[in-house]
Amino acid sequence: MTIKYNRRSLLKLTGGTLAAASVASPSILFAQDSYPSRPINVVVPFDTGGYNDRLARAFAPFLSQRLGQPLNIINRGGAGALLGHSYFLQQPDDGYTLLCTSAAPFLPLNVLTQNAPFAVTDFHMMNLPSRDYTMMATSTESGITSIEDVINQLKADPRSLTIGIQPASADLVNLMLLADTVGISRDELRLVTYDGGGPARNAVAGNVVDIALVGGQGFLPLADKIVPLLIFDDAPRDNWGSAIVTEVAPGADFVLGSQRGWGVHASLVEGSPEIYQTILSAVEETSKAPEVIEALSSAQLATDWFGPEVSNRSLLATAAVMEQHLSILQGS
Amino acid sequence: MTKTGKLKIQWGHLVLLAIIAGWILAYLLDARATSMRVSNLLLVQPVAILALILVLVLVPQCFVREQPNDNTLAANNQDTPPAKETPLELAKIGILTAAFVALAFLMERIGFDVSVFAFLVLGLYICGERNWIANLAFSAIFTVALIYGYGAIIPFPFPLAVL
Amino acid sequence: MIDLAELSDAFTILSSSWSAWIFVIPGLLLGLFFGSMPGISITMAMAIFLPMTLYMDFLPAIIFLTSIYTGAGFGGSVPAILMNIPGTSSAVATTFDGYPMSRQGRHNEALGIALASSVIGTLVSYILLMFLIEPVSGIVLKMGPLELFFVAIWGLMLLGSLAGESIARGLLAGTFGLLLGTVGMNSAGYIRGTMDIPWLLDGVPTIPAMMGLLAASQLLNLVNTKHLIEDEDLRRISMRKITGGFREAFQHKTIIGRGALIGVVIGSIPGVGSSISNLLSYSEARRNAPDGDTFGKGNPKGVIAAESANSSSEGGAMATMLALGIPGGGATAILLAAFAMHNVVGGPSFIANNKDVVYAIIMSNFAQALLLLGVGLGFVYIASYIVRVPMRYLIPSVLVVALFGSYAINGTASGPITLAVFSVIGWGMVRYNYPVAAAVVGLILGNLVEGNLLRTYQISGGELAYALERPGALLILALMVVSFGLSAFSKMRRKRKAGVQMGAS
Repeated sequence: MTIKYNRRSLLKLTGGTLAAASVASPSILFAQDSYPSRPINVVVPFDTGGYNDRLARAFAPFLSQRLGQPLNIINRGGAGALLGHSYFLQQPDDGYTLLCTSAAPFLPLNVLTQNAPFAVTDFHMMNLPSRDYTMMATSTESGITSIEDVINQLKADPRSLTIGIQPASADLVNLMLLADTVGISRDELRLVTYDGGGPARNAVAGNVVDIALVGGQGFLPLADKIVPLLIFDDAPRDNWGSAIVTEVAPGADFVLGSQRGWGVHASLVEGSPEIYQTILSAVEETSKAPEVIEALSSAQLATDWFGPEVSNRSLLATAAVMEQHLSILQGS
Repeated sequence: MTKTGKLKIQWGHLVLLAIIAGWILAYLLDARATSMRVSNLLLVQPVAILALILVLVLVPQCFVREQPNDNTLAANNQDTPPAKETPLELAKIGILTAAFVALAFLMERIGFDVSVFAFLVLGLYICGERNWIANLAFSAIFTVALIYGYGAIIPFPFPLAVL
Repeated sequence: MIDLAELSDAFTILSSSWSAWIFVIPGLLLGLFFGSMPGISITMAMAIFLPMTLYMDFLPAIIFLTSIYTGAGFGGSVPAILMNIPGTSSAVATTFDGYPMSRQGRHNEALGIALASSVIGTLVSYILLMFLIEPVSGIVLKMGPLELFFVAIWGLMLLGSLAGESIARGLLAGTFGLLLGTVGMNSAGYIRGTMDIPWLLDGVPTIPAMMGLLAASQLLNLVNTKHLIEDEDLRRISMRKITGGFREAFQHKTIIGRGALIGVVIGSIPGVGSSISNLLSYSEARRNAPDGDTFGKGNPKGVIAAESANSSSEGGAMATMLALGIPGGGATAILLAAFAMHNVVGGPSFIANNKDVVYAIIMSNFAQALLLLGVGLGFVYIASYIVRVPMRYLIPSVLVVALFGSYAINGTASGPITLAVFSVIGWGMVRYNYPVAAAVVGLILGNLVEGNLLRTYQISGGELAYALERPGALLILALMVVSFGLSAFSKMRRKRKAGVQMGAS
């Protein structure tokens, strides 16, 4: 008990009086112990039950084995992950708080549309194994069979189809960029806005809207109720067999969908390189371990290893395209 | 049913209506400032206007004519204030409410353990527990039980000062 | 409809893996315990135990999780009845009559009635599920925004009967709640009324606001009372009276049947679920009861209606999950995750190829419901000792529990602050005879009403003719009109009858 008491009060001291500026102090305080010497927290900026929560909870036991300390999952949902991301940055950058999040599109969205008190570069993503993509789909009952049908109909009359979509999303950016490239009037499109990807997918599967643009992986359980029309990526994904955007509209800009995975404070990489290296190798080892790959892929969770360089580059590229087309995200 | 008797103003009722109407008006103006598009105001604007009209209908009900000679009418009249507390009883409610609001706003900053314990001690005293030993013992045990009980099952830590 | 060969296979599965059954009672107990803690959602309880199921076989894992689901579904009713705290939005209607019953010293009956109604509701819903799983899956995805809008309007009709003595005050409370329910970012992406507070982007936190309006406002008013139940003789805890509540519940077969049907149908619609079904069922029971005026003052029928509907929503949500492979809410999302962990993917092909497993799941839920009757009995017996606690201890303690619960929802001060603000507003409303329940109903429905009205407008382009393309919506509208017409007609007849009798005597 007394040890715990001391540690808590020390933390309070560093967190409260020295404030966030003195970034390295916690690691100095624990310098006598080798990292990690106590349980590690994993912040998930979404409520229980979502993809990131399930990813964190499935991955944590294996990562915990390699780090030698238990991992506590902390859910901080709300406001499009803004609350959770802010909370994460407020924690000391001593390697005892990790982040599991949909870095794209939520970090750029927080910054671009929500006046977030941080920059995308305050976060360092170690690995973003889950890379979703926008998919345009229609119901098997709609009579639409190909992306050409859609483009021709919308060219003739932009109001002829209802389009299920989430506001301020990567999907919306992709739709508008496609419209620009193939020459469809953006402003006249009949958008039907949904609060989440799930409701939008259900609506198109039930033929309530004519087409929908939503994250493609979520469509997998509904595969036999929909016709995939177009995938916004430069290569085919998940065996959908649909057209891909680089063929249909060469030269069209597009953004990847959700990029989810593991991050730390950017200041940790600079401030405590040894600790960062310990975490990074543990995450890499865990991601590549066969038993982890088996356990996660059976739960339809991604565990591919891309590494920090590819992950951060991809995140920043997405952020740049989103910033370039900010007006679409902000609506009017 | 003569119009005799003193005109009594329910000040509390007026304040309640003012708060509700003030918020609704501010909300409506904020929504209109955000965007004048139909997809923004579709529901909010008509409902807000309806609510504001209802407030206007209800304002006269804050002015009640006391009818000292007609007890049966007064008893049936829904506009008479329901509560008949003594000033002391009202003060107790007021202090407890103020302490509760203060606790809600400060518990994260002070730490749950200290603030909850303090609130329990004060709350028990206001609600009538005059035995200090029982009060302090219960407050301490209940605080610890709650923090460890809830702490064990929720997926995030409580901010604590001492425990 | 029911494949008998598959059914007997299901029996084989269940009887061959007896080990699966040992998880039912722990699951129920965990669910009851978590569910009765304000602010701990069913989803949270299930998410915490999800990793444990990784090491179990498929069937024990599912049985364990669905037991938690069943237990937690009823657990929420206990604080609703004893303390007027709806720990989840699906227990709101339970507070309307359950809490007044407690205050009158009928807490034993109220808990017994709630338990029995929940169990019967769950049983009926799984029986319906067995027959309806395929047709339901065909309809659910067809539910467009207009259909959902009408469902929400049906729910809003409850405002009329909650209004109490003054229609104007009831309507103001209802519209106030409705507006509160639309704060934040709407479906089209417009941000209103957040006062630059980030967490209000998601809207006013519903559960803390409800706890403030319904529970904390009440408690503050009780500072000057000695006990929750004034009469000492009535403060007894009686097993006999609790089981007497069972009998009472069984006497109202129509209310339970209707509640279960509403629960299954509404529960199967993704994103709507039990938070709406308990209100609809309560509203229907109230309008159709000869003693409708006594609802809200401790009428057991109100408890029966609410509990039968919120528990049967579980069956509806399971139907959607099994048949379509899509989650209707957090709890079924967790179940799907558990399915996935065992390499089982829900959806049409799962049902077609694994009917035996589906039947096994359904039947294990029958068993869970029956066991809940026993486990729950012990649980409510212990829980009801709360009525013996003197108010001077109960008030501060429950206020603090509510604060912890509101913090537990997402671990930020947003919950406690919302709770405190709304307990003050609620106290003022109660003091001047504004029905807080109407504000709560508005708050719960606000988002649903606006989102679906908006999407209807977006799809139709504002043209009324669109309604003609949606026979389902017209059917719901017709049902609503018929239901209201019938209850008005029978009310008139009762009145005339009463008038004739009075004339004769």
